[in-house]
Amino acid sequence: MAVLGQQLRRDRVVLSIWIVAIAVLLAGSAAAVSSEFTGAAARAAVLQLGLATPSLLALRGIPNGDSAGSLLWFQVFAFLAVAGGLMNTFFATRHGRADEEQGRRELLAAGAIGRLAPLVATAMLGLLANLVLGVLSALGFLVAGYDGTGALVAATGLTSCGLAFLGVGMLAGELAATSRSANSIGVVAVLLAYALRGAGDALGTPHFEKLTLTPSWPSWLSPIGWAQQSFAFTENRVGPALLPLALAALAGGIAFAVHARRDLGASLLPERSGPAHAGVGLRSMLGLAARLARGALIAWAVGGVLLGALIGTLTNAVAGVAASNPQITQVLKAFAPNRQDTVGLLIGAIMLMTGMMAAAAGIQAVLRVRGDETDGRAEPLLALAVSRARWLGSALAVGLAAVAVVLVLAGIAAFAGLAASGRLSDSWRAVEQALAELPAAFTIVAAAAVLIAIVPRASILLAWLVFAAAIVIGLFGPLLTLPTGVLDTSPFSHVPSVPFTDWGPTVVLLVVDAALVALALVLVRRRELSS
Amino acid sequence: MTIAIHTRGLVKTFGRVRALDGLDLTVEPGEVHGFLGPNGSGKSTTIRVLLGLLRASGGSAMVLGLDPWRDAVAIHRRLAYVPGDVSLWPNLSGGETIDLLTSLRGGADPGLRARLLSDFELDPTTRGRAYSKGNRQKVALVAAFARRAELYLFDEPTSGLDPVMEEVFRREVERVRGEGATVLLSSHILSEVEQLCEKVTIVRAGKAVESGSLSELRHLTRTSFHVATGATPAELAALPGVHDVHREADRLAFDVDTDAIGPVLTALTAAGVSAMTVAPPSLEELFLRHYGDRVES
Repeated sequence: MAVLGQQLRRDRVVLSIWIVAIAVLLAGSAAAVSSEFTGAAARAAVLQLGLATPSLLALRGIPNGDSAGSLLWFQVFAFLAVAGGLMNTFFATRHGRADEEQGRRELLAAGAIGRLAPLVATAMLGLLANLVLGVLSALGFLVAGYDGTGALVAATGLTSCGLAFLGVGMLAGELAATSRSANSIGVVAVLLAYALRGAGDALGTPHFEKLTLTPSWPSWLSPIGWAQQSFAFTENRVGPALLPLALAALAGGIAFAVHARRDLGASLLPERSGPAHAGVGLRSMLGLAARLARGALIAWAVGGVLLGALIGTLTNAVAGVAASNPQITQVLKAFAPNRQDTVGLLIGAIMLMTGMMAAAAGIQAVLRVRGDETDGRAEPLLALAVSRARWLGSALAVGLAAVAVVLVLAGIAAFAGLAASGRLSDSWRAVEQALAELPAAFTIVAAAAVLIAIVPRASILLAWLVFAAAIVIGLFGPLLTLPTGVLDTSPFSHVPSVPFTDWGPTVVLLVVDAALVALALVLVRRRELSS
Repeated sequence: MTIAIHTRGLVKTFGRVRALDGLDLTVEPGEVHGFLGPNGSGKSTTIRVLLGLLRASGGSAMVLGLDPWRDAVAIHRRLAYVPGDVSLWPNLSGGETIDLLTSLRGGADPGLRARLLSDFELDPTTRGRAYSKGNRQKVALVAAFARRAELYLFDEPTSGLDPVMEEVFRREVERVRGEGATVLLSSHILSEVEQLCEKVTIVRAGKAVESGSLSELRHLTRTSFHVATGATPAELAALPGVHDVHREADRLAFDVDTDAIGPVLTALTAAGVSAMTVAPPSLEELFLRHYGDRVES
């Protein structure tokens, strides 16, 4: 009991943020679905589009009729299950492998408690957290105006999925030697569950007249896929909603069995060793920055490629639906205001999102420098023949390169996708549009470097705030009809749409980028190391 | 030859905290200089100023004849540094980290690198996150010793090492001393400084309180006697230079000023001695005198 209390105290903030954020996401999207798509006809149109487009089915889920509940289930459940899954695997690692790694567990295990007590406490606290999440979810659906039974079934599905991933997370903690690899296993498990059901749904058989789908077998390999089959708000099947609990019991049970038999600090999978010598690529500051950014950059680049490829698969379907549904054209227009044709709208909207992803990849690469500084790794580097300008400059160069990699790969993927669907003339426009986003994404990344140079302690927070502001203004500003003065503060508001007629804004952005880079490199010379 | 390290009235403030309060430090070329002080006395801050990682708020500092803030990179080409608390990139192996760190000051001597890895018993294929504190320290030490430098700065270099590894570290310091390098070694471990350093600067609350060779500093201390003797406590206490006489089990314990040892020995011989231990002044006592703390054991 004491262990449980201590874990709860330590985690109250992080866990609360996760739960509240998921509940807010849920209530917000539930409200949006019911307000944006009024009337069965509008909903049926969207769901027709979804059923006809495998990539949308893969991203979203399975509808079941033209009711608002069906559309909601299609739109949000898989996302919520992923968010809840990540919450649980990270939670399990915080109280499992991370504790062991940092020696807190040793302190605890030396006390008068059983070997399994910390695991029991983690399981109980996790159960509690998922129940709270379940109750808040049910309330969220009710507040957004959906019926009580459906809300209950949906919340049950979400809770049992969460518990399944709690079990998986606890098992990952027994398998992996470090909290980092335990978290990786957890994230991979959650994404795999999402992807399996995505593949199963995309390959399933759509029934257009009933507006539903029979998924193919891969969906049945995923706890998210099981819970989806409960069709909350329409059929309300409780059995599938509870099925993930079996996985929770299985994975949790194995975790307990392993934990009872292993030594403190041991793990089933040994830590992999690394090379005894550094490759030529790692023997410089640029090499170091590139190496540290590599893992995350690969993930961002895959995301960019998927988004780019999406354009090709969506174009034909969207063009067909948009012709009959002005509402969809309206939404796309808000993202890319200067466009007339639907395909151009789609290219503009998706490349804008890709540009923001690229900016995030770049910011992450630059901010790594600040992490090195606070953790004490910058000190030995700066005690070598490395100036502060070179130290920050290397990370900034890699950050800018990361932006280019993500956008260029997304452009190529879009090109291939559009060419494959027989729209060769549009495919060049996609590449040009991807390149047009570069200067805007550069601005955000260079701004992060300036922040590191002038306000090191606040730089991480401020850099992400700048990014978030640019996203909110760039993506939603036109929808929210913000005044032009506010819109102009986001570099993404100045990205022209292909075909370009006015290069002015792009040139201005590039000048601003160069000025920010110079400013960061000059100002960082003047400052001390700060922890 | 230029003085290796020279500071005059060095001041460093963080907000209202005065971390360095007029610190004077002089290290001659080719000497192994101990930089002694308790935790929080300003040793690490001084080293960071000497490395140009922090800017002095007042006073002057010269390293190898150059200004550490302005000419940091030029100075760094000629020195090697090991921080007190080494933190490594979790994903890089020890070998990769060593190669990275040495490459950035010109590249390691491959033979030296291999010998150091074997002497320090360090596995270079382990990832940074999997090393213990002592092994992280060894990674930084191998990186520092694997390429010759004019000046070595060590901030509490043996805090995570076991006695065998401390011995390896001492051997390496002797080697670079033999090659003519200058070493500044900060520590609060007195035996380490006593064994390695010919000169010592003692720092307390951001000020150097004492500086000189070990023998110069020993005059400040007293020698401890534990004697089974026929002399009474009162007789001993009456001798000049004898302090703090008290009984411990069947022996008398007291401290004697260095210049009064001769007469005290004569008096003891006259009174008869059946057993005696005499402890030389240790740096521990230097500390106790400077900081006015009582022995707590």
